[in-house]
Amino acid sequence: MKKMMKYWNKPSRSAYLFLAPSVILLILFSVVPLIIAFGLSVFDVSITMDSANFIGLDNFIEAFHDSRFLNSLKVTAIFTGLEVPLQVLGALAVAALITKNNIKNKFFRAVYFLPVICSATAIGIMWKMILHSNIGFITAALQSMGLGKINFLNTPGLTIFVVSFISIWRSFGISAIIYVTAIQQVSASLYEAAEMDGAGKIRQFWHITAPSIRPTFWYILMTRFAGALQIFDIIYITTNGGPNYTTESTVTYIYSRAFSSRSSMGYASAMSVILFVIIMVITVLMYRKMNQEE
Amino acid sequence: MKKMNKWKRLVALGVSTMMVVSTAACGSGSGDSSKSDSTEKKDSKKGTTISFWNSFTGSDGDMLVELVDRYNKENEDGITVEMDISSDFDSQLSTAFAAGTGPTMMLSSSAYRFTYGDYMQDISDIFEKTDLNKEDFIQSYLDYCSEGDSLYFVPFQVVGYYMYWNKDLFEAAGLDPETPPTTWEEWQKDAEKITDESKNVYGSGISYDYPYQIAHMMQRQGGLAVTDGNGKWKANFKGNSGYADFLNMYKTMVDNGDNPLEADTDSMMSAGQIGITVGGPWVTAGLDTADVNYGIGLIPQGEAGDMNSVEVLGFSITTAASDEEKEAAYKFIEWWNSEDKEGSSPALEWSVANGFPAYTYSVQEKPAYKESEKLSVMSSANPDAPTDFIVDSSFPGINDVLNDVIPEMINSVAFGNASVDDALDKAQTAADKIVDEYNK
Repeated sequence: MKKMMKYWNKPSRSAYLFLAPSVILLILFSVVPLIIAFGLSVFDVSITMDSANFIGLDNFIEAFHDSRFLNSLKVTAIFTGLEVPLQVLGALAVAALITKNNIKNKFFRAVYFLPVICSATAIGIMWKMILHSNIGFITAALQSMGLGKINFLNTPGLTIFVVSFISIWRSFGISAIIYVTAIQQVSASLYEAAEMDGAGKIRQFWHITAPSIRPTFWYILMTRFAGALQIFDIIYITTNGGPNYTTESTVTYIYSRAFSSRSSMGYASAMSVILFVIIMVITVLMYRKMNQEE
Repeated sequence: MKKMNKWKRLVALGVSTMMVVSTAACGSGSGDSSKSDSTEKKDSKKGTTISFWNSFTGSDGDMLVELVDRYNKENEDGITVEMDISSDFDSQLSTAFAAGTGPTMMLSSSAYRFTYGDYMQDISDIFEKTDLNKEDFIQSYLDYCSEGDSLYFVPFQVVGYYMYWNKDLFEAAGLDPETPPTTWEEWQKDAEKITDESKNVYGSGISYDYPYQIAHMMQRQGGLAVTDGNGKWKANFKGNSGYADFLNMYKTMVDNGDNPLEADTDSMMSAGQIGITVGGPWVTAGLDTADVNYGIGLIPQGEAGDMNSVEVLGFSITTAASDEEKEAAYKFIEWWNSEDKEGSSPALEWSVANGFPAYTYSVQEKPAYKESEKLSVMSSANPDAPTDFIVDSSFPGINDVLNDVIPEMINSVAFGNASVDDALDKAQTAADKIVDEYNK
């Protein structure tokens, strides 16, 4: 026992002990499912795994001929194109306004962070109710202001913007808080020097704050990209892919194919693999860009 | 050294991407599973403990918990029923079966036999091993739960869809509140009169995102979507004049502003802003709570003739159950359908409280059942009318038709992507693909 304690007491070894829980969880819940998904993608198999027929790349060929899958990729791209820039830049703007540690800013940080700790289901139901075309509070308020009857959740072309807004509203608090933390780490002496040189607040932001928090910016950009490409919960609760599949994201479609009564786990896995490759390529490109800047 | 760093970076990148994507591979479900074990368990050494899974997450789920708790307290066989109610029942079930486990007993639509038939036990001997009387069960509902000579479900609940109308809106429109539409033409005419744009009131409440509702209405006009054609399944969308009539009626009402372009019409009905709609018995809970003055009747019949389309939910026993557990589950099902000294039974209580028509003759004869206006309407359908719901009741692909074919069809019509004929042609192509799979 003593020998063992001595062995693990060395800092270089005890580090592995601290890492172990995360690594085990990562292997169990990320690496193993991923490998299984790769394996399943070449089989025709339902979720109950009754009988698995090897079909090679047929699932992938089918996916690229499946209009709903192609549509879901388009919807996901639109959603990502809307969500990521607005989230990343919007959160940065808000963070710049609430950086100082005073009571007012602390209050607003708490307010912005509130949706982050709420369940996506509760948020989805809440927005679904207040945006209802006939009995929704916001719809009624806009109508009474003479803006007409806006059918937020049932208008193709509009609903994807609404869903993107809900998603941004829900998660931009966390991005803002990360930015705030990063901004607070920037040395005060830099701002003092800039002030002495006559630089205004906006100039200070662009020439001191923005370059100093660049790693944080890249972190938020990469995680938001990956998150947006996997959007599921908000869409599932608010529109379930409607109207007319105009908000059906790739993961929503994968879920319906994997877990519906006509479960096709092999096909759903093949679509997951395609999504994986897309995310992988985007992440690699971003990673390279980030390293170049560094 | 540089190479080493590059590899490290690549590995780190790969692992981060895996973390990010793994949710897709895992099928990141959002369903919350609420476990509601019965509160007072008996000494498990003396009796048998059985697991019981279902998806009754609504207010009826609370009643189910109460009844299961009552059974756990009252039964003298030392049986403990551990119930698990999940809003993501389908995922829970399929993953459990895939892992070689599962509940002893479950409560689901009888259509589950098409998906999970390999994991269900034949329970046709329940009438020999318990005091349940087979003759007391309405045969057509038992047929729904059977495959050949094998019985996979004992009926628990019969779900039909009915027409609901708001009497106050009828009166405000100058219509007789006691005379609901009996034909689809009357439905359309009444809807037009009831609609009041200034008050956000719509005469008709058909949702484009409610395939069950649409299917019940469609089949009254155009019959079944899949039928048995000389031993082979045959889809009946293309050229179906009844379906075309329904789609044209829906589109016309939407275009005229008599029917909202809305997924959630139930909330509007409860808010008193819909004149006529179609829904399951659970609609009454929302209407009662909101104090809406409403009537309930049978859905108007159409060209297809009398139809009494229903879905039967039932108890089933899975292959995960041992003989001892199966016997214990039989006892629970027997208790559910047995009368106490006062002549009441859980089945009767359930039917009256939740407004579901009875599946046994004995419950139908009970005064408490007869006194219920809702239940008497629900039980007034022509007993000889076919009970198949949208497809022949033996066709295993019912969920494919409901989840894939009908939604695409109604969406393309509702949002103007396709003419009614084009939508029916596309539906035929999609349905043919499904039918071909089952014809193999």
